[in-house]
Amino acid sequence: MNLHARISLGACYLFLATPVARSALEAAMSTHMLLQIPLLAAAGVLLARLLPVARQDALLTACGGALPLVVLALFASSYWMLPRALDAALGDPLTEAAKFISLPLLVGLPLALAWRQLTAIGRGFVWTNFISMLAVLGWLYIAAPVRVCNNYLVDEQGSTGWLMVKLALLLFAGWLGTLFVGGNVAPVAVPASSRDDARQANPA
Amino acid sequence: MANYTYEHTPDRGATAGVLAYLGTACAVLLLMMLVGLLMRLEQAQIIDLGANWFYELMTLHGAGMVGIAGIAGAAVMWHFLRQYVDLSPGIFLANLALFLVGVVMIIGSIVFGHFHAAWTFLYPMPSQSMGMWSQEAAALFMGGLLVIGVGFLLLHLDIARAIVARYGNFARALGWPQLFGHDDGNAPPPTVVASTMVTIVNIVGLVVGASILTMMLLNLYLPEFTIDAMLAKGMIYFFGHVFINATIYMAVIAVYEILPRYTQRPWKANKVFLASWSASTLMVMFIFPHHLLMDFAFPQWMLIMGHIIGYLNTVPILVVTGYGALMIVFRSGIRWDMASRLLFLSLFGWAAGAMPAFIDGTITVNYVMHNTLWVPGHFHTYLLLGMVAMVFGFIYYLGKPGQNAAEGWLDRAAFWGFSSGALGFTLSFLYAGKESVARRYAVHLPEWLPYDRVGSVFAALVVASSLLFVLRFFSRLGAAGRDYARAPLAQGAAA
Amino acid sequence: MKAGRAGLVAGGLVALLGFGVFWSATDGFTAFTAETARRAEILRSPRSLPAVALEDQDGRRFSLQDYRGRLLAVEFIYTRCTTICRSLGMAFRQVRERLPAQALGHEVALLSISFDAARDDPASLKAYGQAFGADGAHWRIARIHSPAEVAPLLAAFGVVVIPDGMGGFEHNAAIHLLGRDGKLTQISDIDQPVEFADRIASSL
Ligand code: HEM
Ligand SMILES: [Cu+2]
Repeated sequence: MNLHARISLGACYLFLATPVARSALEAAMSTHMLLQIPLLAAAGVLLARLLPVARQDALLTACGGALPLVVLALFASSYWMLPRALDAALGDPLTEAAKFISLPLLVGLPLALAWRQLTAIGRGFVWTNFISMLAVLGWLYIAAPVRVCNNYLVDEQGSTGWLMVKLALLLFAGWLGTLFVGGNVAPVAVPASSRDDARQANPA
Repeated sequence: MANYTYEHTPDRGATAGVLAYLGTACAVLLLMMLVGLLMRLEQAQIIDLGANWFYELMTLHGAGMVGIAGIAGAAVMWHFLRQYVDLSPGIFLANLALFLVGVVMIIGSIVFGHFHAAWTFLYPMPSQSMGMWSQEAAALFMGGLLVIGVGFLLLHLDIARAIVARYGNFARALGWPQLFGHDDGNAPPPTVVASTMVTIVNIVGLVVGASILTMMLLNLYLPEFTIDAMLAKGMIYFFGHVFINATIYMAVIAVYEILPRYTQRPWKANKVFLASWSASTLMVMFIFPHHLLMDFAFPQWMLIMGHIIGYLNTVPILVVTGYGALMIVFRSGIRWDMASRLLFLSLFGWAAGAMPAFIDGTITVNYVMHNTLWVPGHFHTYLLLGMVAMVFGFIYYLGKPGQNAAEGWLDRAAFWGFSSGALGFTLSFLYAGKESVARRYAVHLPEWLPYDRVGSVFAALVVASSLLFVLRFFSRLGAAGRDYARAPLAQGAAA
Repeated sequence: MKAGRAGLVAGGLVALLGFGVFWSATDGFTAFTAETARRAEILRSPRSLPAVALEDQDGRRFSLQDYRGRLLAVEFIYTRCTTICRSLGMAFRQVRERLPAQALGHEVALLSISFDAARDDPASLKAYGQAFGADGAHWRIARIHSPAEVAPLLAAFGVVVIPDGMGGFEHNAAIHLLGRDGKLTQISDIDQPVEFADRIASSL
């Protein structure tokens, strides 16, 4: 069906796994954490979106709904934010392989599946939590009293931390911004829960 | 100009959820008022609790009052907003449940853990108790705040969802098409505009608050990870300021909804109204975080600007609301009952409370007044005489037995007791502040004691009157949940 | 969030599992960085080290295995370093002063190893040693004789050296202790030389 898209996705994924792309993205802590890892997770999101809708729904039900999937993504993504995991991925090919497999399959894919079922509140909660966690993580990297990664310069953790804080601010502004645009006015003025006596919001 | 006509909206009873909110808020309010009275008596040297007890009580009073102000404000907003958008009762109750969990945690941390670093938990106080409270007590307190914050975040996300579902986006819910384009009179009702503003600023405030709470909780157990003290203070104040201001913006919805019903005149969401609410939204959202988050070494001029804008921020809405209320009531033939009186009083209290804040916000005065009783003087004026009066007005409206029900002399006496007591209580703070009496637990010279004692007497009057208000409400809970007409017709209005 | 009972249970299970993974991946929430992990691991299971030809400040050849039967304190440096290696030198000096004089050389010795085999010739090793008061016998300064053997030795110790972009290096710094059996048994912080020396003294 969307064979073309699938092949492109696979090609992009394989490209990320090439030594050239890996050494380029992993050379600096910031690109490793804030580019390579998100890209791998995004590959998982795209993978989910390329599955037939019925298949996505079946997977979603099989996993018990949105909640376990969100929790899974939360834990799996936090894991790769551990300095120790970053170092391990650089030194140990097996860990690196685990990273390349788990980020798409345990972060991007479950999140994309869960997203289908999440209500606006659930989505908002995930967003706000994520933003606040990103900012706090950034502070942890800024405030760390010791060098946290043996494979990265000590200055890098500060600048990476700042990038995370800035990214959190940007995402927050962006997310709020989306609430200000688009959308349609509901055709019926009276909400379902309201009884028929409620005032029409827009007097004709 | 658009044309505005009044459309009659029937009065509706409160849902069980709203009543549970109000019941919780009233009970805690009374308790915390008693705690406040104890503090005032201590300052007057009528009783002798000692510094530790004073600060424990103050922490309890501050956290408790701010919490129930949020709960009561949310009840007012939810009750009226439900007329326009489809809100989720489940989330509403979940917030109350989380709130109660948080309250238990906070009380535990203060009563059993002797935590007393004030509700503003300024960094690095919670982690540096010098043996007076344990790490666990501090963690319990901040964890309690975090739980309460999560509840409110869920509530506001639900409100955001409902508003977006009905109006498409926040811009339309704030009436921007009418504000920036032709005012066709189809702007959303004031309740929706106010709720949108509160939801936006509280979501921002709560995310910032949750972040700093998480950071401080981590710092408690990983002290090597230090926090920039200025940043921490900025974030805490941002969150605290936004949250406490938002309680008034929520409670004022009672004024927007109830006064029109009493006067059969519409509350106009005209360009000026929309502009002032949008201006406040933007001031809180962009100017505050901008100066707090981008510049960590607060330059002096930014501090000053932030301070003034912080206060200026309340002014447009206040002026628009006060003016609007006067216009609606003026020659309307409104019948004054407990609800309408309290609501009108609340606008006076709000305005009166903003004035000293404004004075304090100007820099030269700030140096002198900053740590004096002037500060609690100003915020008690707008919280007690403003915010709390709005809530009392709302519960009288809900519990009013019938459209033309008469009032007992006791209620009327309590109204005057409350207004004069609250006025006297706050004036005693303000006057003492002018005389440079230090706030909190400090040495009070003999010549200052008269203010403290007079203040205590007025405070006792407030407590007694509030007790009557609350008892009256509890005795009318059954009626408060039913749908029937409450607002009396204005004199001369066609039936 | 729309989560039925099954979803809640599954979510709880995933969270439990996640905690378990985090627990084991951080050694019970104690080791978040590769450096703390390395230290914990050595304590649990001392590690054998490769026989590598070393060359000291006087051009003498020797190997780590020559120290069998004695305790040996080891640190990794490069002599041009102006930052962390100075602290290492100071720390070693404190260790030496703290150790019982009669045991020095007989039961315990100190060894600073340069990983910059290309540039650190015996002369610069000597200068480094003199700067910190190394006697060249009980406390020797050495380099790895063959550049090809640098990487295996560093890997065995768990020391990661990365260029700092200004011609120097950044490296995880610590004081290592080799047991009488020649195995790496303990890694200690450089800001705790006194405690390190006392532990040695108590096991003499
Ligand atoms: C009978 C009513 C009340 C009395 C007698 C009372 C009394 C007091 C006293 C004596 C203080 C300490 C002031 C100082 O020296 O700094 C205080 C602080 C405070 N009060 Fe009240 N109060 C009352 C009502 C309220 C209400 C209705 C609110 C909010 C809705 C409130 C919120 C606060 C807050 C936030 C503080 C600051 C605590 C801190 O500094 O950390 N109070 N109150
Ligand atoms: Cu060095």
